[in-house]
Amino acid sequence: MHIFVVEDEKTIRRELKVLLENAMYQVTAPDTFENIVCRIKEEKPDLVLLDVNLPGISGFDICMQLREQTEIPIIFLTSRTDSMDELNGILKGGDDYIAKPYQAPILLARIAAVLKRTKGMEVKETILLEKKGVQLDISKCCLIFQEKKVELTKNEMKILHLLFQHSGEFVARMDLIEYLWENQIFIDDNTLSVHMTGIRKKLNSIGVQDFIETKRGIGYRI
Amino acid sequence: MKLIDFFRDKSLLLLLHLVCMCVVAGFLKVTGYGKANIILIVIFWTMLLIIWFFATYLNRRKHFYQMEQILEKVDQRYLLGELLPDSFRLEDRLYREMIRKSNKSVIERIRQMEDEWKDYREYIESWVHEIKAPITSISLLCENRRHSLSAEEGKGIKEDFYTITLENQKIENYVDMALYYARSENVYKDYLIQETSLNEVVSGVLNKNRLLLIQNHVNAHVDCKDKVYTDQKWIAFILNQMIQNSVKYQRKIPVFHIYTRRETNGVILVLEDNGTGIPAEELSRIFEKGFTGSNGRNHERSTGMGLYLCQKLCDKLGIGIRAWSEYGTGTRMFLEFPISNYITREEMD
Repeated sequence: MHIFVVEDEKTIRRELKVLLENAMYQVTAPDTFENIVCRIKEEKPDLVLLDVNLPGISGFDICMQLREQTEIPIIFLTSRTDSMDELNGILKGGDDYIAKPYQAPILLARIAAVLKRTKGMEVKETILLEKKGVQLDISKCCLIFQEKKVELTKNEMKILHLLFQHSGEFVARMDLIEYLWENQIFIDDNTLSVHMTGIRKKLNSIGVQDFIETKRGIGYRI
Repeated sequence: MKLIDFFRDKSLLLLLHLVCMCVVAGFLKVTGYGKANIILIVIFWTMLLIIWFFATYLNRRKHFYQMEQILEKVDQRYLLGELLPDSFRLEDRLYREMIRKSNKSVIERIRQMEDEWKDYREYIESWVHEIKAPITSISLLCENRRHSLSAEEGKGIKEDFYTITLENQKIENYVDMALYYARSENVYKDYLIQETSLNEVVSGVLNKNRLLLIQNHVNAHVDCKDKVYTDQKWIAFILNQMIQNSVKYQRKIPVFHIYTRRETNGVILVLEDNGTGIPAEELSRIFEKGFTGSNGRNHERSTGMGLYLCQKLCDKLGIGIRAWSEYGTGTRMFLEFPISNYITREEMD
Protein backbone atom coordinates (compact mmCIF):
# COMPACT_ATOMS: atom_id res chain seq x y z
CA MET A 1 0.00 0.00 0.00
CA HIS A 2 1.46 3.31 -1.03
CA ILE A 3 0.64 6.50 0.86
CA PHE A 4 1.53 9.98 -0.34
CA VAL A 5 1.95 12.50 2.47
CA VAL A 6 1.56 16.22 1.75
CA GLU A 7 2.54 18.04 4.93
CA ASP A 8 4.64 21.19 5.28
CA GLU A 9 5.58 20.85 8.94
CA LYS A 10 8.96 19.13 8.93
CA THR A 11 8.75 17.22 12.19
CA ILE A 12 5.23 16.04 11.59
CA ARG A 13 6.19 14.91 8.10
CA ARG A 14 9.15 12.93 9.40
CA GLU A 15 7.21 11.33 12.22
CA LEU A 16 4.25 10.53 10.02
CA LYS A 17 6.61 8.79 7.65
CA VAL A 18 8.08 6.73 10.49
CA LEU A 19 4.65 5.91 11.84
CA LEU A 20 3.26 4.81 8.49
CA GLU A 21 6.35 2.85 7.58
CA ASN A 22 6.14 1.03 10.91
CA ALA A 23 2.59 0.18 9.98
CA MET A 24 3.96 -1.44 6.81
CA TYR A 25 2.91 1.22 4.33
CA GLN A 26 5.15 2.51 1.59
CA VAL A 27 5.44 6.27 2.05
CA THR A 28 6.34 9.19 -0.20
CA ALA A 29 6.63 12.53 1.60
CA PRO A 30 8.10 15.38 -0.47
CA ASP A 31 9.43 18.57 1.16
CA THR A 32 8.42 20.92 -1.65
CA PHE A 33 5.00 21.40 -3.08
CA GLU A 34 5.61 22.62 -6.63
CA ASN A 35 3.61 20.69 -9.18
CA ILE A 36 2.39 18.56 -6.36
CA VAL A 37 -0.69 17.51 -8.30
CA CYS A 38 1.36 16.17 -11.20
CA ARG A 39 3.69 14.37 -8.85
CA ILE A 40 0.83 12.68 -7.07
CA LYS A 41 -0.58 11.60 -10.43
CA GLU A 42 2.77 10.19 -11.47
CA GLU A 43 3.27 8.31 -8.24
CA LYS A 44 -0.26 6.84 -8.32
CA PRO A 45 -0.47 6.27 -4.56
CA ASP A 46 -3.28 4.28 -2.97
CA LEU A 47 -4.05 7.13 -0.59
CA VAL A 48 -3.14 10.78 -0.12
CA LEU A 49 -2.79 12.41 3.31
CA LEU A 50 -3.29 16.08 2.64
CA ASP A 51 -2.62 19.02 4.93
CA VAL A 52 -5.06 21.87 4.35
CA ASN A 53 -2.77 24.82 5.08
CA LEU A 54 0.23 24.62 2.81
CA PRO A 55 2.55 27.44 1.84
CA GLY A 56 1.21 29.01 -1.32
CA ILE A 57 -1.57 26.55 -1.96
CA SER A 58 -4.59 25.24 -0.15
CA GLY A 59 -5.12 21.54 0.34
CA PHE A 60 -8.67 22.00 -0.84
CA ASP A 61 -7.39 23.23 -4.23
CA ILE A 62 -5.06 20.27 -4.56
CA CYS A 63 -7.94 17.98 -3.73
CA MET A 64 -10.14 19.59 -6.37
CA GLN A 65 -7.48 19.35 -9.04
CA LEU A 66 -6.86 15.72 -8.17
CA ARG A 67 -10.53 14.94 -8.23
CA GLU A 68 -10.87 16.29 -11.76
CA GLN A 69 -8.74 13.48 -13.08
CA THR A 70 -8.39 10.75 -10.50
CA GLU A 71 -10.22 8.82 -7.85
CA ILE A 72 -7.31 8.49 -5.42
CA PRO A 73 -8.71 8.45 -1.88
CA ILE A 74 -7.84 11.59 0.05
CA ILE A 75 -7.74 12.18 3.81
CA PHE A 76 -7.42 15.74 5.02
CA LEU A 77 -5.20 16.41 8.00
CA THR A 78 -5.64 19.81 9.49
CA SER A 79 -5.31 21.86 12.61
CA ARG A 80 -8.42 23.82 11.70
CA THR A 81 -11.49 22.41 13.30
CA ASP A 82 -14.35 24.54 12.00
CA SER A 83 -17.32 22.65 10.76
CA MET A 84 -17.21 24.78 7.63
CA ASP A 85 -13.76 23.47 6.84
CA GLU A 86 -14.83 19.95 7.47
CA LEU A 87 -17.83 20.36 5.19
CA ASN A 88 -15.61 22.01 2.62
CA GLY A 89 -13.24 19.08 2.74
CA ILE A 90 -16.00 16.60 2.14
CA LEU A 91 -17.60 18.70 -0.59
CA LYS A 92 -14.31 19.06 -2.40
CA GLY A 93 -14.12 15.30 -2.61
CA GLY A 94 -12.14 14.26 0.46
CA ASP A 95 -12.83 10.82 1.89
CA ASP A 96 -12.15 11.70 5.51
CA TYR A 97 -11.16 14.65 7.62
CA ILE A 98 -8.92 14.28 10.66
CA ALA A 99 -8.22 17.15 13.03
CA LYS A 100 -4.81 17.72 14.57
CA PRO A 101 -3.56 16.73 17.04
CA TYR A 102 -4.43 13.23 16.00
CA GLN A 103 -3.31 10.18 17.85
CA ALA A 104 -1.41 7.54 16.01
CA PRO A 105 -3.81 4.60 16.53
CA ILE A 106 -6.78 6.70 15.51
CA LEU A 107 -5.02 7.94 12.41
CA LEU A 108 -4.03 4.41 11.42
CA ALA A 109 -7.53 3.12 12.03
CA ARG A 110 -9.05 5.77 9.83
CA ILE A 111 -6.52 5.22 7.07
CA ALA A 112 -7.36 1.53 7.17
CA ALA A 113 -11.07 2.34 7.09
CA VAL A 114 -10.76 4.58 4.03
CA LEU A 115 -8.60 2.05 2.22
CA LYS A 116 -11.08 -0.66 3.02
CA ARG A 117 -14.00 1.43 1.82
CA THR A 118 -12.43 2.70 -1.38
CA LYS A 119 -10.32 -0.24 -2.42
CA GLY A 120 -12.65 -2.85 -1.07
CA MET A 121 -9.75 -4.62 0.49
CA GLU A 122 -9.10 -5.39 4.04
CA VAL A 123 -5.75 -6.00 5.59
CA LYS A 124 -5.88 -9.74 5.57
CA GLU A 125 -5.82 -11.07 9.06
CA THR A 126 -4.79 -14.58 9.63
CA ILE A 127 -7.64 -16.40 11.23
CA LEU A 128 -5.51 -19.12 12.75
CA LEU A 129 -2.40 -18.20 14.70
CA GLU A 130 -0.07 -20.84 16.02
CA LYS A 131 2.75 -21.02 18.56
CA LYS A 132 4.34 -24.06 20.19
CA GLY A 133 1.45 -26.20 19.00
CA VAL A 134 -1.17 -23.96 20.54
CA GLN A 135 -3.59 -22.52 18.01
CA LEU A 136 -5.64 -19.36 18.39
CA ASP A 137 -8.76 -19.42 16.24
CA ILE A 138 -9.85 -15.85 15.84
CA SER A 139 -13.10 -16.47 13.99
CA LYS A 140 -14.35 -19.00 16.53
CA CYS A 141 -12.74 -17.25 19.48
CA CYS A 142 -11.09 -20.30 21.00
CA LEU A 143 -7.76 -21.96 21.81
CA ILE A 144 -6.89 -25.37 20.40
CA PHE A 145 -4.17 -27.74 21.62
CA GLN A 146 -3.95 -31.32 20.45
CA GLU A 147 -7.64 -31.61 19.54
CA LYS A 148 -8.60 -30.07 22.85
CA LYS A 149 -10.50 -26.83 22.64
CA VAL A 150 -11.40 -24.08 25.08
CA GLU A 151 -13.65 -21.06 24.49
CA LEU A 152 -12.30 -17.58 25.17
CA THR A 153 -14.03 -14.38 26.17
CA LYS A 154 -13.66 -11.36 23.92
CA ASN A 155 -11.14 -9.76 26.28
CA GLU A 156 -9.02 -12.88 26.65
CA MET A 157 -9.08 -13.29 22.91
CA LYS A 158 -7.75 -9.76 22.32
CA ILE A 159 -4.98 -10.23 24.87
CA LEU A 160 -3.85 -13.47 23.28
CA HIS A 161 -4.14 -11.97 19.83
CA LEU A 162 -1.57 -9.30 20.63
CA LEU A 163 0.75 -11.81 22.32
CA PHE A 164 0.54 -14.15 19.33
CA GLN A 165 1.26 -11.28 16.96
CA HIS A 166 4.41 -10.46 18.90
CA SER A 167 5.39 -14.03 19.71
CA GLY A 168 8.99 -14.35 20.79
CA GLU A 169 9.25 -10.88 22.26
CA PHE A 170 8.12 -9.38 25.50
CA VAL A 171 4.99 -7.28 25.40
CA ALA A 172 4.87 -4.64 28.13
CA ARG A 173 1.77 -4.67 30.32
CA MET A 174 1.20 -1.02 29.48
CA ASP A 175 1.30 -1.75 25.75
CA LEU A 176 -1.11 -4.60 26.27
CA ILE A 177 -3.58 -2.43 28.16
CA GLU A 178 -3.25 0.32 25.57
CA TYR A 179 -3.96 -2.15 22.81
CA LEU A 180 -7.09 -3.26 24.64
CA TRP A 181 -8.27 0.34 25.02
CA GLU A 182 -7.77 0.87 21.32
CA ASN A 183 -10.08 -2.08 20.82
CA GLN A 184 -12.83 -0.74 23.04
CA ILE A 185 -11.95 -2.83 26.06
CA PHE A 186 -11.46 -0.30 28.82
CA ILE A 187 -9.79 -2.17 31.65
CA ASP A 188 -7.06 -1.44 34.16
CA ASP A 189 -3.96 -3.15 35.39
CA ASN A 190 -5.67 -5.31 38.00
CA THR A 191 -8.35 -6.49 35.64
CA LEU A 192 -5.62 -7.45 33.18
CA SER A 193 -4.01 -9.60 35.87
CA VAL A 194 -7.36 -11.26 36.49
CA HIS A 195 -7.68 -11.98 32.78
CA MET A 196 -4.15 -13.36 32.62
CA THR A 197 -4.96 -15.74 35.47
CA GLY A 198 -8.10 -16.76 33.60
CA ILE A 199 -6.13 -17.40 30.42
CA ARG A 200 -3.55 -19.48 32.30
CA LYS A 201 -6.31 -21.59 33.83
CA LYS A 202 -7.83 -22.17 30.42
CA LEU A 203 -4.45 -23.10 29.00
CA ASN A 204 -3.93 -25.57 31.83
CA SER A 205 -7.34 -27.05 31.23
CA ILE A 206 -6.31 -28.09 27.73
CA GLY A 207 -3.01 -29.35 28.98
CA VAL A 208 -0.68 -26.47 28.11
CA GLN A 209 1.81 -25.58 30.84
CA ASP A 210 4.00 -22.47 31.12
CA PHE A 211 2.91 -21.14 27.76
CA ILE A 212 3.01 -17.52 28.79
CA GLU A 213 6.26 -16.33 30.28
CA THR A 214 6.10 -13.45 32.75
CA LYS A 215 8.96 -11.14 33.53
CA ARG A 216 8.31 -8.90 36.48
CA GLY A 217 8.20 -5.23 35.64
CA ILE A 218 8.55 -5.94 31.94
CA GLY A 219 5.69 -7.94 30.57
CA TYR A 220 4.59 -11.16 28.95
CA ARG A 221 6.02 -13.34 26.24
CA ILE A 222 4.85 -16.41 24.40
CA MET B 1 -47.59 59.73 32.33
CA LYS B 2 -49.96 60.44 35.17
CA LEU B 3 -52.36 63.35 35.14
CA ILE B 4 -51.20 64.55 38.53
CA ASP B 5 -47.57 64.60 37.36
CA PHE B 6 -48.55 66.56 34.28
CA PHE B 7 -50.50 68.96 36.46
CA ARG B 8 -47.49 69.49 38.67
CA ASP B 9 -45.30 70.04 35.66
CA LYS B 10 -47.63 72.71 34.34
CA SER B 11 -48.34 74.32 37.76
CA LEU B 12 -46.18 77.39 37.03
CA LEU B 13 -48.07 78.11 33.83
CA LEU B 14 -51.38 77.62 35.57
CA LEU B 15 -50.24 79.96 38.31
CA LEU B 16 -49.36 82.54 35.66
CA HIS B 17 -52.85 82.21 34.20
CA LEU B 18 -54.36 82.64 37.68
CA VAL B 19 -52.31 85.78 38.28
CA CYS B 20 -53.27 87.14 34.84
CA MET B 21 -56.93 86.38 35.58
CA CYS B 22 -56.74 88.33 38.84
CA VAL B 23 -54.97 91.25 37.17
CA VAL B 24 -57.47 91.38 34.30
CA ALA B 25 -60.41 91.09 36.72
CA GLY B 26 -58.98 93.92 38.84
CA PHE B 27 -58.32 96.05 35.74
CA LEU B 28 -61.87 95.50 34.44
CA LYS B 29 -63.31 96.28 37.86
CA VAL B 30 -61.37 99.54 37.98
CA THR B 31 -62.47 100.49 34.44
CA GLY B 32 -66.09 100.03 35.55
CA TYR B 33 -67.22 96.70 34.05
CA GLY B 34 -70.08 94.90 35.75
CA LYS B 35 -69.48 91.95 38.06
CA ALA B 36 -71.38 89.55 35.81
CA ASN B 37 -69.23 90.46 32.85
CA ILE B 38 -66.04 89.87 34.77
CA ILE B 39 -67.23 86.48 36.02
CA LEU B 40 -68.23 85.53 32.48
CA ILE B 41 -64.81 86.42 31.15
CA VAL B 42 -63.07 84.49 33.91
CA ILE B 43 -65.31 81.42 33.36
CA PHE B 44 -64.58 81.44 29.60
CA TRP B 45 -60.93 81.85 30.27
CA THR B 46 -60.92 78.96 32.71
CA MET B 47 -62.86 76.76 30.30
CA LEU B 48 -60.44 77.46 27.48
CA LEU B 49 -57.58 76.82 29.85
CA ILE B 50 -59.05 73.47 30.94
CA ILE B 51 -59.64 72.40 27.34
CA TRP B 52 -56.11 73.40 26.39
CA PHE B 53 -54.75 71.62 29.46
CA PHE B 54 -56.47 68.30 28.70
CA ALA B 55 -55.81 68.49 25.01
CA THR B 56 -52.11 68.99 25.68
CA TYR B 57 -52.15 66.21 28.26
CA LEU B 58 -53.73 63.71 25.88
CA ASN B 59 -51.42 64.71 23.07
CA ARG B 60 -48.31 64.35 25.21
CA ARG B 61 -49.49 61.12 26.69
CA LYS B 62 -49.96 59.68 23.23
CA HIS B 63 -46.51 60.85 22.20
CA PHE B 64 -44.77 59.25 25.15
CA TYR B 65 -46.86 56.11 24.87
CA GLN B 66 -45.63 55.74 21.31
CA MET B 67 -42.05 56.15 22.48
CA GLU B 68 -42.50 53.55 25.17
CA GLN B 69 -43.96 51.16 22.66
CA ILE B 70 -40.98 51.65 20.39
CA LEU B 71 -38.62 51.05 23.29
CA GLU B 72 -40.39 47.84 24.17
CA LYS B 73 -40.49 46.52 20.65
CA VAL B 74 -36.92 47.08 19.50
CA ASP B 75 -34.23 44.82 20.88
CA GLN B 76 -31.49 47.36 20.51
CA ARG B 77 -32.83 50.24 22.54
CA TYR B 78 -29.91 52.46 21.86
CA LEU B 79 -31.40 52.97 18.39
CA LEU B 80 -34.25 55.02 19.88
CA GLY B 81 -32.88 58.26 18.41
CA GLU B 82 -33.58 56.98 14.90
CA LEU B 83 -37.05 55.77 15.71
CA LEU B 84 -38.60 58.70 17.61
CA PRO B 85 -41.98 59.84 16.21
CA ASP B 86 -42.06 63.20 14.48
CA SER B 87 -43.16 66.15 16.53
CA PHE B 88 -43.78 69.80 15.69
CA ARG B 89 -42.55 70.84 19.12
CA LEU B 90 -39.22 72.54 19.28
CA GLU B 91 -38.25 70.78 22.51
CA ASP B 92 -39.01 67.37 21.09
CA ARG B 93 -36.96 68.12 18.02
CA LEU B 94 -34.01 69.33 20.08
CA TYR B 95 -34.14 66.35 22.39
CA ARG B 96 -34.41 64.04 19.45
CA GLU B 97 -31.33 65.49 17.89
CA MET B 98 -29.41 65.15 21.13
CA ILE B 99 -30.54 61.57 21.69
CA ARG B 100 -29.54 60.75 18.16
CA LYS B 101 -26.06 62.17 18.70
CA SER B 102 -25.64 60.36 21.97
CA ASN B 103 -26.83 57.10 20.45
CA LYS B 104 -24.49 57.47 17.56
CA SER B 105 -21.52 57.63 19.87
CA VAL B 106 -22.79 54.58 21.77
CA ILE B 107 -23.15 52.68 18.52
CA GLU B 108 -19.68 53.66 17.41
CA ARG B 109 -18.29 52.52 20.73
CA ILE B 110 -20.09 49.21 20.50
CA ARG B 111 -18.92 48.67 16.94
CA GLN B 112 -15.37 49.40 17.99
CA MET B 113 -15.55 46.95 20.85
CA GLU B 114 -17.12 44.32 18.63
CA ASP B 115 -14.30 44.73 16.17
CA GLU B 116 -11.72 44.47 18.89
CA TRP B 117 -13.38 41.40 20.30
CA LYS B 118 -13.63 39.82 16.87
CA ASP B 119 -9.96 40.47 16.23
CA TYR B 120 -9.09 38.96 19.57
CA ARG B 121 -11.28 35.93 18.92
CA GLU B 122 -9.75 35.40 15.51
CA TYR B 123 -6.30 35.71 16.98
CA ILE B 124 -7.11 33.10 19.63
CA GLU B 125 -8.44 30.78 16.95
CA SER B 126 -5.43 31.14 14.73
CA TRP B 127 -3.13 30.82 17.72
CA VAL B 128 -4.85 27.59 18.70
CA HIS B 129 -4.41 26.25 15.18
CA GLU B 130 -0.75 27.21 15.20
CA ILE B 131 -0.06 25.54 18.52
CA LYS B 132 -1.69 22.34 17.37
CA ALA B 133 1.13 21.67 14.94
CA PRO B 134 3.83 21.37 17.65
CA ILE B 135 1.42 19.42 19.86
CA THR B 136 0.93 16.97 17.00
CA SER B 137 4.67 16.72 16.44
CA ILE B 138 5.33 15.92 20.09
CA SER B 139 2.53 13.40 20.21
CA LEU B 140 3.71 11.58 17.07
CA LEU B 141 7.31 11.70 18.18
CA CYS B 142 6.54 10.12 21.55
CA GLU B 143 4.31 7.53 19.97
CA ASN B 144 6.96 6.50 17.46
CA ARG B 145 9.76 6.37 20.03
CA ARG B 146 7.64 4.40 22.42
CA HIS B 147 6.85 1.78 19.84
CA SER B 148 10.35 1.52 18.49
CA LEU B 149 11.57 0.45 21.92
CA SER B 150 11.06 -3.13 22.95
CA ALA B 151 9.72 -3.93 26.39
CA GLU B 152 13.11 -4.95 27.77
CA GLU B 153 15.41 -2.21 26.54
CA GLY B 154 13.03 0.69 26.91
CA LYS B 155 11.95 0.15 30.48
CA GLY B 156 12.64 3.54 32.03
CA ILE B 157 12.58 5.55 28.81
CA LYS B 158 9.11 4.35 27.95
CA GLU B 159 7.83 5.79 31.21
CA ASP B 160 9.33 9.14 30.26
CA PHE B 161 7.57 9.13 26.92
CA TYR B 162 4.31 8.32 28.69
CA THR B 163 4.79 11.30 30.93
CA ILE B 164 5.59 13.59 28.03
CA THR B 165 2.56 12.35 26.13
CA LEU B 166 0.37 12.88 29.17
CA GLU B 167 1.62 16.40 29.73
CA ASN B 168 1.21 17.08 26.04
CA GLN B 169 -2.39 15.98 26.30
CA LYS B 170 -2.94 18.34 29.20
CA ILE B 171 -1.70 21.17 27.02
CA GLU B 172 -4.02 20.05 24.27
CA ASN B 173 -6.91 19.99 26.66
CA TYR B 174 -6.27 23.50 27.95
CA VAL B 175 -5.82 24.77 24.42
CA ASP B 176 -9.12 23.21 23.43
CA MET B 177 -10.84 24.90 26.33
CA ALA B 178 -9.58 28.27 25.16
CA LEU B 179 -10.73 27.55 21.63
CA TYR B 180 -14.20 26.43 22.66
CA TYR B 181 -14.56 29.35 25.03
CA ALA B 182 -13.71 31.76 22.23
CA ARG B 183 -16.20 30.01 20.01
CA SER B 184 -18.98 29.43 22.49
CA GLU B 185 -20.68 32.72 21.65
CA ASN B 186 -20.92 31.81 18.02
CA VAL B 187 -21.85 28.16 18.12
CA TYR B 188 -24.42 28.66 15.39
CA LYS B 189 -21.63 29.45 12.96
CA ASP B 190 -19.81 26.27 13.64
CA TYR B 191 -21.81 23.17 13.87
CA LEU B 192 -22.49 20.28 11.66
CA ILE B 193 -25.47 18.33 12.87
CA GLN B 194 -25.33 14.75 11.76
CA GLU B 195 -26.37 11.34 12.87
CA THR B 196 -23.90 10.55 15.60
CA SER B 197 -23.21 7.21 17.16
CA LEU B 198 -22.70 7.94 20.82
CA ASN B 199 -20.74 4.74 21.15
CA GLU B 200 -18.20 6.04 18.66
CA VAL B 201 -17.91 9.41 20.37
CA VAL B 202 -17.53 7.86 23.83
CA SER B 203 -14.95 5.33 22.63
CA GLY B 204 -13.13 8.10 20.85
CA VAL B 205 -12.92 10.25 23.95
CA LEU B 206 -11.87 7.33 26.16
CA ASN B 207 -9.25 6.38 23.65
CA LYS B 208 -7.93 9.87 23.37
CA ASN B 209 -7.43 9.94 27.13
CA ARG B 210 -6.32 6.35 27.41
CA LEU B 211 -2.90 7.07 28.86
CA LEU B 212 -4.35 9.25 31.59
CA LEU B 213 -7.13 6.77 32.29
CA ILE B 214 -4.86 3.74 32.30
CA GLN B 215 -2.44 5.51 34.60
CA ASN B 216 -5.33 6.13 36.97
CA HIS B 217 -6.41 2.47 36.82
CA VAL B 218 -9.77 3.27 35.30
CA ASN B 219 -12.17 0.53 34.27
CA ALA B 220 -14.87 1.74 31.94
CA HIS B 221 -18.02 -0.05 30.89
CA VAL B 222 -19.54 1.43 27.78
CA ASP B 223 -22.99 0.60 26.53
CA CYS B 224 -24.20 3.32 24.19
CA LYS B 225 -26.30 1.80 21.48
CA ASP B 226 -28.34 4.87 20.66
CA LYS B 227 -27.75 7.37 17.95
CA VAL B 228 -28.57 11.05 18.14
CA TYR B 229 -28.50 14.04 15.83
CA THR B 230 -25.86 16.44 17.06
CA ASP B 231 -22.43 17.85 16.38
CA GLN B 232 -19.77 15.24 17.11
CA LYS B 233 -16.97 17.65 17.83
CA TRP B 234 -18.83 19.61 20.49
CA ILE B 235 -20.19 16.50 22.15
CA ALA B 236 -16.71 15.02 22.23
CA PHE B 237 -15.43 18.18 23.90
CA ILE B 238 -18.21 18.10 26.52
CA LEU B 239 -17.65 14.40 27.24
CA ASN B 240 -13.94 15.00 27.46
CA GLN B 241 -14.45 17.63 30.16
CA MET B 242 -16.76 15.34 32.09
CA ILE B 243 -14.34 12.43 31.93
CA GLN B 244 -11.45 14.64 33.01
CA ASN B 245 -13.51 15.59 36.06
CA SER B 246 -14.33 11.99 36.87
CA VAL B 247 -10.63 11.13 36.76
CA LYS B 248 -9.68 14.14 38.82
CA TYR B 249 -12.12 13.53 41.64
CA GLN B 250 -11.57 9.85 42.26
CA ARG B 251 -11.82 8.10 45.57
CA LYS B 252 -10.81 4.49 45.03
CA ILE B 253 -10.15 2.50 41.87
CA PRO B 254 -12.30 4.40 39.40
CA VAL B 255 -15.03 2.54 37.58
CA PHE B 256 -17.00 4.43 34.92
CA HIS B 257 -20.31 3.31 33.56
CA ILE B 258 -21.23 5.13 30.41
CA TYR B 259 -24.58 4.20 28.91
CA THR B 260 -27.52 5.57 27.03
CA ARG B 261 -31.22 5.34 27.80
CA ARG B 262 -33.94 5.91 25.25
CA GLU B 263 -36.91 7.80 26.63
CA THR B 264 -40.07 9.05 25.00
CA ASN B 265 -38.77 12.52 24.28
CA GLY B 266 -35.11 11.86 23.75
CA VAL B 267 -31.97 9.93 24.47
CA ILE B 268 -30.09 10.31 27.74
CA LEU B 269 -26.40 9.67 27.98
CA VAL B 270 -25.25 8.88 31.50
CA LEU B 271 -21.70 9.04 32.78
CA GLU B 272 -21.52 7.40 36.17
CA ASP B 273 -18.42 7.32 38.31
CA ASN B 274 -17.59 6.13 41.81
CA GLY B 275 -15.55 9.17 42.76
CA THR B 276 -15.73 11.59 45.64
CA GLY B 277 -19.07 12.97 44.59
CA ILE B 278 -20.27 16.51 45.09
CA PRO B 279 -21.64 17.80 48.42
CA ALA B 280 -25.39 18.44 48.15
CA GLU B 281 -25.06 22.14 48.92
CA GLU B 282 -22.61 22.61 46.05
CA LEU B 283 -24.47 20.57 43.47
CA SER B 284 -26.54 23.46 42.20
CA ARG B 285 -23.49 25.61 41.63
CA ILE B 286 -21.14 23.30 39.74
CA PHE B 287 -22.03 24.81 36.36
CA GLU B 288 -21.19 28.33 37.49
CA LYS B 289 -18.19 30.04 36.03
CA GLY B 290 -15.18 29.90 38.28
CA PHE B 291 -16.85 27.66 40.84
CA THR B 292 -14.37 25.20 42.22
CA GLY B 293 -16.08 23.92 45.36
CA SER B 294 -14.51 21.95 48.16
CA ASN B 295 -13.46 19.19 45.73
CA GLY B 296 -11.67 21.66 43.54
CA ARG B 297 -9.76 23.06 46.47
CA ASN B 298 -8.83 19.73 48.00
CA HIS B 299 -7.80 18.02 44.80
CA GLU B 300 -5.72 18.95 41.87
CA ARG B 301 -5.89 22.45 40.45
CA SER B 302 -9.29 23.33 39.19
CA THR B 303 -10.20 26.26 37.01
CA GLY B 304 -13.94 26.14 37.41
CA MET B 305 -14.24 26.52 33.67
CA GLY B 306 -14.86 22.98 32.45
CA LEU B 307 -18.44 22.44 33.51
CA TYR B 308 -19.31 26.08 32.93
CA LEU B 309 -18.26 25.68 29.31
CA CYS B 310 -20.11 22.37 29.08
CA GLN B 311 -23.33 23.97 30.14
CA LYS B 312 -22.87 26.92 27.86
CA LEU B 313 -22.27 24.67 24.87
CA CYS B 314 -25.13 22.36 25.82
CA ASP B 315 -27.45 25.36 25.95
CA LYS B 316 -26.43 26.37 22.49
CA LEU B 317 -26.81 22.86 21.14
CA GLY B 318 -30.18 22.34 22.80
CA ILE B 319 -28.91 19.54 25.01
CA GLY B 320 -29.91 19.27 28.64
CA ILE B 321 -27.10 18.76 31.16
CA ARG B 322 -27.72 17.65 34.73
CA ALA B 323 -25.78 16.20 37.58
CA TRP B 324 -26.76 13.87 40.36
CA SER B 325 -24.42 13.06 43.14
CA GLU B 326 -24.10 11.50 46.52
CA TYR B 327 -21.12 12.72 48.45
CA GLY B 328 -18.67 9.91 49.02
CA THR B 329 -20.40 7.54 46.61
CA GLY B 330 -20.16 8.95 43.15
CA THR B 331 -21.58 11.24 40.53
CA ARG B 332 -23.84 10.79 37.58
CA MET B 333 -23.79 13.30 34.77
CA PHE B 334 -26.69 13.29 32.35
CA LEU B 335 -26.77 14.62 28.83
CA GLU B 336 -30.26 14.78 27.42
CA PHE B 337 -30.58 14.80 23.65
CA PRO B 338 -34.08 15.77 22.69
CA ILE B 339 -35.60 14.14 19.64
CA SER B 340 -36.00 17.00 17.24
CA ASN B 341 -39.28 17.53 15.52
CA TYR B 342 -37.67 19.15 12.58
CA ILE B 343 -35.03 16.57 11.94
CA THR B 344 -36.54 13.36 10.70
CA ARG B 345 -34.83 10.66 8.85
CA GLU B 346 -36.01 10.22 5.32
CA GLU B 347 -35.96 6.66 4.23
CA MET B 348 -34.13 6.21 0.98
CA ASP B 349 -35.83 4.15 -1.69
